[in-house]
Amino acid sequence: MKRILTVRRSQGKAGGSALVRCAIFFFFFLPECFSPGLLFAQNRPTEYQVKAVYLFNFARFVEWPAENGAGKDGTFVVCVLGDDPFGTFLDTTLAGETVAGRNVVAQRITKPQEAAACRILFVSTSEESHLKELFEVIAKKSVLTVSDIPQFAQRGGMIGFVTDEGKVRFEINLTSATDAGLTLSSDLLKVATTVRKSAPGRG
Amino acid sequence: MSHARQVSITSKLTRMNMLVCATALSLACLGFLSYDLATYRQVTLDNLSIQSQVTGSNSVSALVFDDPVSAQRTLSSLEFAPNILSACIYTPDGKPFATYRRSPNISIPAKLAISPGEKERHWYNHENIFLVHAISFQGKPAGFTYVQSNIQPLIDRVENYLAIAGVMLILSLSLALFLSRIARRSIAEPIQRLANVARRVSKDKEYSTRAEPGREEGELAELVGTFNEMLAQIETRDRSLEAAREKLEEHVEQRTAELSAANKELEAFSYSVSHDLRAPLRSIEGFSLALAEDYDDKLDGEAKSHLSRIRAATTRMGVLIDDLLNLARVTRAELHREPINLSSIASSIAEDLRKANPERQIEFCVQERLETVGDGRLLRVVLENLLGNAWKYTSKHAWARIQFAKKRLNDEEAYFVTDDGAGFDPAFAGRLFGAFQRLHGMDEFPGTGVGLATVQRIIHRHGGRVWAEGAVEKGATFYFTL
Repeated sequence: MKRILTVRRSQGKAGGSALVRCAIFFFFFLPECFSPGLLFAQNRPTEYQVKAVYLFNFARFVEWPAENGAGKDGTFVVCVLGDDPFGTFLDTTLAGETVAGRNVVAQRITKPQEAAACRILFVSTSEESHLKELFEVIAKKSVLTVSDIPQFAQRGGMIGFVTDEGKVRFEINLTSATDAGLTLSSDLLKVATTVRKSAPGRG
Repeated sequence: MSHARQVSITSKLTRMNMLVCATALSLACLGFLSYDLATYRQVTLDNLSIQSQVTGSNSVSALVFDDPVSAQRTLSSLEFAPNILSACIYTPDGKPFATYRRSPNISIPAKLAISPGEKERHWYNHENIFLVHAISFQGKPAGFTYVQSNIQPLIDRVENYLAIAGVMLILSLSLALFLSRIARRSIAEPIQRLANVARRVSKDKEYSTRAEPGREEGELAELVGTFNEMLAQIETRDRSLEAAREKLEEHVEQRTAELSAANKELEAFSYSVSHDLRAPLRSIEGFSLALAEDYDDKLDGEAKSHLSRIRAATTRMGVLIDDLLNLARVTRAELHREPINLSSIASSIAEDLRKANPERQIEFCVQERLETVGDGRLLRVVLENLLGNAWKYTSKHAWARIQFAKKRLNDEEAYFVTDDGAGFDPAFAGRLFGAFQRLHGMDEFPGTGVGLATVQRIIHRHGGRVWAEGAVEKGATFYFTL
């Protein structure tokens, strides 16, 4: 036994390790086969395709208050106020999706008053001049406001899309969201370019 | 030899202990090692799986909102897990999204090896464990985490294990060596003690020795007991043998004393008889001679004839008494041993015989230089008798040959006197050496029948023996040894 030990020692650390490695490899870890990975289809999405997907994804990172639950028919409504930049993308994206167990549907609205029934409201750039009016209508209504109007978050919106080096990113105004009774996941805040939670100043 | 056996018993015990100890310990170590490795492997895998799940779920938002920088931040926290060499977040379509490398030269697969729908997969090479975990968010696939962890901790563990096992083995063997010394005290030492006693007994023939019963019990104590019992039996037997021998010796001594007393008495008796017989014989001889000389003219022929018969008988009786006296003297005389030359004695006797009867044609052959140690006077008597007999019993032959020589019979040297004379009937050979025993008539060959008896006594006193071979008219040979 002693002799074996000295032999092992004389083989050196590296040799011993290799021996042990081989032993462990063969005795305990049966080599497992590689299977070819999936080939994923490749296509470059357009800006509004991305935004349509993001719009839905926001829904997944928000804790929705229960009392403000159901829409009219128990659906989760995603509204677009003003000119619709998505076309059919939004409908395709939302088709078949659910949030908190409710089917997600897209709805186009023209007046801010209609927004009270929405859970997520995308404000088109065409509505930039009516923002103040809009915010007053939906105050305390737990509607997640999203827009690509510049400085949307600073101006009292919750999530504002920005473009950073050709990529779609977004800013968050946490205060607006909190005031509306919405809790945004920290995961969402993590990927936002800016998070505002300062003074309740609007504008 | 016995020492070697003792050593082998001891070393056998030691070897047995060591072997049992080493085998048991090695088996136990192997079992523990196998169990430990299996457990450790599972734990390692579980930990890795958890790490990749945490990393994955922390990267969900980054994936969903296509923010590699955030994912990169998440991954960089793996710095604190030293076993993780590299990690990667893949998009759901299998493209690398964010990567982490502990050192820059580690490669990360550009394509993922996981089937759609599979939750987790791991594989190994001789240095690393690889694990891919599918990230899902609210039931939808969000991407994959890939981590590469080296198995160095596992190897270190095995090496430590082996080192500890080795040390334990050496310690245990030392302990076993120590314990076997104790065992030797209780098993081998009593046996050694017993062997020592047995050796001493067999060497010194000292059967009163006993093996000391030690503290041991069971077979060993029984062995010692039986051994002692055996010794006791031998001792008893020895003692009774000794007693019997002493008794026997006593008997022999007593008998010898009785015998020699009787013998002496007999000798003294026959000597005094022979001696005392001489006086009346001398007066018979003297007065018959006076009668013959003084009354020669007054005695008639018949009276003269009777007288001469009386005188012849008297002479014969004188010879008889002389022989008897000789015989008695031979028995009584002290032996004076000295180097003597039998050849010259025989030659001088032959010369005397020739002078006495110069007319006879006898060829005397005496072997040269027959030298021995003995009483010269008595051996001369022996040769006188034997050569005289030969001379006498060849007297009927015109020509005779007498030989004195030595020859080897079986493994003893025998002297012999042989002649080609009258010989004797072998049936009566036993009677030849008795006193007054004669095989021939007085008128045929004169003699008293005492000569050969004297010869036998002298030879016996020299520690030798005498015997005769012969046949009627074929001569006789008398052998004697000294």
